[in-house]
Amino acid sequence: MMRNLIRSEVLKTRSTQVWLWMILPAAALTALSTIGQTYGSIYDNEHGGAAIRYYDIFTTANGGGVALLVIGILGLTTEFRHKTITPTLLAIPGRWTLLVGKAISYAIFAFFYAVICIVVNFAIAIPWLDAKGIPVEFGHGVPGGVVKAFLALLMTALFGLGLGALVRNQAAAMVIGIFYFAIISNLLSVIPWVRHWIYPWSPGGALDAFISNGTIRNTADDVHRLAPLNGGLLFLVWTLVLLGAGGYFSLNRDIS
Amino acid sequence: MTAPPGGTSAVRGRIVVDRLTKVFGTQRAVDELSFTVEPGSVTGFLGPNGAGKTTTLRMLLGLIEPTSGTATINGVRYASLPAPLEAVGAALEASSFHPAHTGLQHLRIYCAAAGLPARRADEVLDLVGLRDAAKKKTKGYSMGMRQRLGLASTLLGDPRVLILDEPANGLDPEGIRWLRGFFRHLAGEGRTVLVSSHQLAEVQEVADRVVILNRGRLVRSGTMAELSAGTSTAVVRGPNLHPLQQALVAAGLTGSTEADGSLRVQTDDLRHIGQLAFQHGVELHELSLSRFDLEQLFFSLTEGAHQGSDLGAYTPNGHAPAHERTRQP
Repeated sequence: MMRNLIRSEVLKTRSTQVWLWMILPAAALTALSTIGQTYGSIYDNEHGGAAIRYYDIFTTANGGGVALLVIGILGLTTEFRHKTITPTLLAIPGRWTLLVGKAISYAIFAFFYAVICIVVNFAIAIPWLDAKGIPVEFGHGVPGGVVKAFLALLMTALFGLGLGALVRNQAAAMVIGIFYFAIISNLLSVIPWVRHWIYPWSPGGALDAFISNGTIRNTADDVHRLAPLNGGLLFLVWTLVLLGAGGYFSLNRDIS
Repeated sequence: MTAPPGGTSAVRGRIVVDRLTKVFGTQRAVDELSFTVEPGSVTGFLGPNGAGKTTTLRMLLGLIEPTSGTATINGVRYASLPAPLEAVGAALEASSFHPAHTGLQHLRIYCAAAGLPARRADEVLDLVGLRDAAKKKTKGYSMGMRQRLGLASTLLGDPRVLILDEPANGLDPEGIRWLRGFFRHLAGEGRTVLVSSHQLAEVQEVADRVVILNRGRLVRSGTMAELSAGTSTAVVRGPNLHPLQQALVAAGLTGSTEADGSLRVQTDDLRHIGQLAFQHGVELHELSLSRFDLEQLFFSLTEGAHQGSDLGAYTPNGHAPAHERTRQP
C-alpha cells in the first residue's frame, strides 16, 4: 500500500506545474546566497588563505530552504483547499499511513530540489573562485557542510508538510512559515536575552546551529548555540512534533 | 429494510448502519439511525437539507467519526476494508478535483493509490462519456462533466458498492436519463447502489428501496412496493360531485376534496366509483388513477423541515398540504 501511495503522491505533484515553477525560486535563492558569500572572498596570502570562508560558501545551498518549506506546506494544504482530501482518504483511509506516505514522497521531491540547490551552489562558486585566482578547497569540513545543507533542505520540506498538516489553511500556513523563517527567527537571533535562551531552542535556531560550522562555536556570538548535530536533531524533533500534531489535531478531525 | 441482524452483516455488498449517532456540539445531526442496504438494489437516501444524509454517508465512509453506533460495508468499517476502492466507489462532492489536473490525471492518481493499472482511468472515462474531455483541465469542466468525472472515479476499482451524494445535480436531461439507466445496469449486475438525492421523481423512477430521514432520524424505509401499497388515489372531476361524495362515504371510502372541487378517493378501484356515479346519475368529466407519488410521501413525512431549504418554495404538484385538505367525502 505504501508503495502505491508514494507513486500516487509523486504523480499528484508531478501532474501540476507548481513543482517545476518552484525550482526557479529554489535556484534563485541559492544563487543569491552563494553570490553573497563568494563576492567578498579574497585570497589572503599572509594567512595562507584561511580568511576565505569555504564552509560558508559551500553550505549556502540551504538558501533555497524557503522554497522547500513552501513545497512542503503545499503537500497537505492543497488537499484541503481543493477538497481532494475526500477522494484521497477514500483511497487511503488510514490517516497516519497517508501522512507517512506524504512525508516519504515529499522527501523524494526535496532530494531532487536539494541536488539542484547544491549544483547551483557549485556552478556559481567554483568558477567564480577560480576566476578570482582563489584555490578551491574542500577541506575544513566543507563536504560535511554540504551534506548538512542537503539534510537541512530535506528536513525543511518535511517541516513545511507538518506545518501544513497543522494549519490546514494554505494562505495562513504560507504566511506563518515564511514570516517565521524570514523575519521572526532573525529577530529572535539578535534580541539580547532571547538570542541566548529562546532562539537556540527554536526551529530556526536549531536549523541555524545544524548548518553552522562547529569550529566557530564558543565565540562570544555563539556561546549558547547548540552543537551542529544537536541542532540537527532538535530541528528533526520540531519537524516530527509538527507532523505528529498535524496528524493528531488536524488530519484526524472530521472531514466534512 | 430492517435494523441489522448482528451476524449477517458480512454479506458482500451489504451496507449496515446500526444506531449511528453524530453530535456536533449541541446538535444531533444523526440520531440512532439504523438501516440496511442489500446488494443488487438501488436505494434512494432521501431527506430535506440538514436531515443528516451527507453526515451519514461520511460516517459510513470513515470521513466523520460517529459519536456512537456503527456503519459497516461487507461487515467491516470502511477503514478496515483491505482494498477500499475495489470494494466501494463513492462520490460525495462534485468539485473534489485539483483545478490544474486533467480528468485523466485525476483518475490516474487514484489508480496509482489503489494499485490499479493506469489504463483503467481511460476505461472509466469512456464509460461515463468523458473521453473527449480526458485531457482538459478540470477547472474548465461544467457541473455535469464534474458529476461524470466523480462517477468515473467511483468505478475505478470496479466496486460492488456505490455510494453517491446527489449525482444528478447539474446533469442535463440526457445525462439524467443516462444515469438512470446506468444505475439499473449496476444493480442488475448485483451491485449495491446507495444514492442520496433531492430529485424525488428520479429516485422514484430508479430506486428499488428508499430510506427517508428527517432531522437525523429515520422516518420511513422500505421497498417502493411497500411504500406505495394502498396509496393509489382515484381522481374524480365533474360539475356536481356532491351526490357521489355521499355515496362514497356510504360505501366506506375516504379521500379529500381539492381546492378546484375535484375529489381524491383512496382506492385503485375505478370501476367501483364509476358504478356509484352511474347509479346516482352523476356526470363525470374525469375518472383517473393517480398512482403512488414519492414526492407526496416525502413531504408528508418531512413536513415542517423545509423552511429555508431549497425544497420549501413549492408544494408538490400544487396540492395543498394534507392538513389543509377537507377530510371528506
